[in-house]
Amino acid sequence: MNNDIPVRELGPQGEVMAHAVDACVHCGFCLPACPTYALLGDEMDSPRGRIVLMKEVLEGGLDLLDAAPHLDRCLGCQACVTACPSGVPYGELITSFRGWSEPQRQRSAFDKAKRYAILKALPAPKLFSVAARAGQYAKPLAPALPAALRGPLDLLPEHVPAMQPSPAVTPARGPRRGRVAFLTGCAQQALAPNFNAATLRVLARNGIEVVIPGGQGCCGAAALHTGARDEALRLVRANLDAFNPDDYDAILSNAAGCGAGLKEYPVILHGLHDEAKAQAFAAKVQDISEYLATLARKEGVEPFMPASRPLKIAYHDACHLAHAQKVRSAPRELLRLIPGVSIAEIPEGDLCCGSAGTYNLEQPELAGQLGARKAGHILSTAPDLVASGNIGCHTQIQSHVRRQGSAVPVMHTVEVLDLAYRGEL
Amino acid sequence: MTVEKLALTTTSPAPKPKSEGKADNALATELTRRLGPRKVLSNLAERLSYRFDAIQFGVTPLAVVLPESTEDVIATVKAARRAGVSIVGRGAASGLSGGAAPMQPSVVISFTRMTDLQIFPQRREAVAQPGVITLAVTEAARPHGLIYPPDPASFRTSTIGGNLGENAGGPLCFKYGVTGDYVTALDFVDAEGEVHTLQRDAYDLAGLLIGSEGTLGLITSATLRLTPPPRFTRTLMAHFAEVGQAAEAVSAAIAAGAVPGKLEFMDGACTNAVEDYLHLGLPRDAGAVLLVDTDGDDLDTVEEERALVEAACLEAGGHVRRAEGEAEAAALWQARRSVSPALGRIRPQRMNEDIVVPRSVLPEVVRQIRALGDASGLKLVQFGHIGDGNLHPNILFDPRKESEEAVHDLAHKIALVALRHGGVLSGEHGIGTMKRDFMRDAVDAETMTALRNVKRAFDPADALNPGKILPDETHA
Repeated sequence: MNNDIPVRELGPQGEVMAHAVDACVHCGFCLPACPTYALLGDEMDSPRGRIVLMKEVLEGGLDLLDAAPHLDRCLGCQACVTACPSGVPYGELITSFRGWSEPQRQRSAFDKAKRYAILKALPAPKLFSVAARAGQYAKPLAPALPAALRGPLDLLPEHVPAMQPSPAVTPARGPRRGRVAFLTGCAQQALAPNFNAATLRVLARNGIEVVIPGGQGCCGAAALHTGARDEALRLVRANLDAFNPDDYDAILSNAAGCGAGLKEYPVILHGLHDEAKAQAFAAKVQDISEYLATLARKEGVEPFMPASRPLKIAYHDACHLAHAQKVRSAPRELLRLIPGVSIAEIPEGDLCCGSAGTYNLEQPELAGQLGARKAGHILSTAPDLVASGNIGCHTQIQSHVRRQGSAVPVMHTVEVLDLAYRGEL
Repeated sequence: MTVEKLALTTTSPAPKPKSEGKADNALATELTRRLGPRKVLSNLAERLSYRFDAIQFGVTPLAVVLPESTEDVIATVKAARRAGVSIVGRGAASGLSGGAAPMQPSVVISFTRMTDLQIFPQRREAVAQPGVITLAVTEAARPHGLIYPPDPASFRTSTIGGNLGENAGGPLCFKYGVTGDYVTALDFVDAEGEVHTLQRDAYDLAGLLIGSEGTLGLITSATLRLTPPPRFTRTLMAHFAEVGQAAEAVSAAIAAGAVPGKLEFMDGACTNAVEDYLHLGLPRDAGAVLLVDTDGDDLDTVEEERALVEAACLEAGGHVRRAEGEAEAAALWQARRSVSPALGRIRPQRMNEDIVVPRSVLPEVVRQIRALGDASGLKLVQFGHIGDGNLHPNILFDPRKESEEAVHDLAHKIALVALRHGGVLSGEHGIGTMKRDFMRDAVDAETMTALRNVKRAFDPADALNPGKILPDETHA
């Protein structure tokens, strides 16, 4: 797309944005992939429309305020990136744009407070845990609360589990086959501590030593995707200091959103002094399923105990795994290694569940519609179990399938593997 | 800026007013009053979003209407007529001729909310409103053992209304015919806001509306013919050192009596662009790739036809590979559908063509076009529905570095190659603005007068999608 984006004035992030706009041929192949276009049907709420709006704002032909409602509705799911033949890095565009535009936004005091609370609580698992536990008690009050508060409460599980601190080093069981660093994530430590516990067990069982480097923190994705670029840079640099890529075979995450965030570091630091460091770091980052599936293909993994009965697993593609990281087959391959397991493909599987980081909190209405739609599609496959690789999807799907009256277990892929190793699946 | 110039630029020539987020013109206010705010988009961000199709940016519309019924369309046409404002119909704006891009401040009627679709299995017909997604017709018909064959590459995005407006084709159209061949009746709203129902008997006015790019009326409903899908399909890929050999294979295969379901080609640059996207292991070093489906209800015949095509490919110096299974065939066809947008990987902008030439002259034509491209110093690629002689030479360029005049000049020369060989300008994309200039070469003066008379009979005020198809009269 031809454009007059003033790259020189905008600096390195301007280069990122102009490159993405250049690559768009406005063919419209992204339209059927976009969740908000599916719900709203308007060009402005499609990826192609948003690219045009961002271009216009960057060129100075449109007020940011006029474009903002449509840009704010973007989930950042990147389904459009998968659908795009011309290779538009839409994720990089919207992230850079949000970082550029957020300081110019005027938000209400309530909005500001909400964003501040989210961005403070999310990266601090202990604080988040306290908030989640408090929220648990407020759940019965939800119907009486304003929608902005009701959304997050609806997502909380009935029981918020106690946090389980992870050891700094988990030794390999048997001969050591590898050594990895692990990013523990934020919200999931409070909401689903078993994700990490299961991850450590599965890796150890396969002869992988797992190090949890001190000094690590939030990946920065939530800050970055809401436009808090300075805060994101601080978090990114803390992690670059905490993880020395030379020390590990891989740097693992078990949360799709965080893993995608880590892989984005070179873009965030594009044109800055530590860009090369970010590239070396990102080259080592893998999702847990990616790492295990590679291990399975190359050297094999420890055999799983069969499921106690034939088990149909609906595998949900987290957007930040399937679209942002292009990891689709790895989790399916791993689950299929468990004797007795079959995989059900979910209709409209490419469409976001509506969780999308902080989207549930920012756009509760659209998030709710997408959640209900996803739960309906999942349940249409009559699964015995639902698996996914992201805490956000996990809470969203759990909440919406329960609302539709289903008690189907919802788990992280690695929890399923862990249960199979223990003979408890 | 002249319209001719516009044909080559995606920079909006419209001034870019600042907006307070409110309707800033009387017509938008009037439409909002009549239809309600839900159906009318009037702030600048909204209007800017409805000024382009998949090849061109036009003028920012004054208002965008999202009708939910034929009555909404009628009300819009009448209000625009009273205000003396032109009207541009729009589907999903995935068209490739500038058909849906307004050439003057207009009301855009976007049909994306008119999506009623009914399937009548016993009649083997579907009745679709214009906003129905093309692929949705086949998806709805398939449970009844029927399909809707026209399959433009954008069929997941494009709408029936847009397909009718441009008389869209697609790979299957070689054997099964284009959009217009599947229309048995249609309703349209004329320039005065009156509704008409047309059948295909004499005079075939429905045929006149199909492919008229919204310049004669606005189609609000279409009855479409459905057919049972072929029972067997076999897929073949062949690659060649250069495009001429691929074209020789096509001419020979068809001369030998093969009628494949699909017969498509892409040159080396196109193959590399889609390979960059999909990573299928396509032959990156080949000068040209042919993709072929033979299909039918009798497996022996389908396989015989494939053997005929294989023999022609080998004879022309090609290498042949049969697709193993449906998944591989599906991946190859996804690759073919992705060619056009994937070209964005090479240069940010392009001038595309849609010429059709007799199959007997294909080798000569593709080689002449290749030679013109090489001589021009511009990036020229070729792909298309070679089975029915429909080629899409595309000139890829960066307007910041390459001369738009040179691009226009090369495009004109390519059009003339087609015309010299007894061909036409457009097989399926429509003329729009992109090829409007070349109509003077393609159509003699008497025929042009007849075309202008038709336009005047339907739309004397030139209110329906002005600036499309026919060149400005002052130039004639």
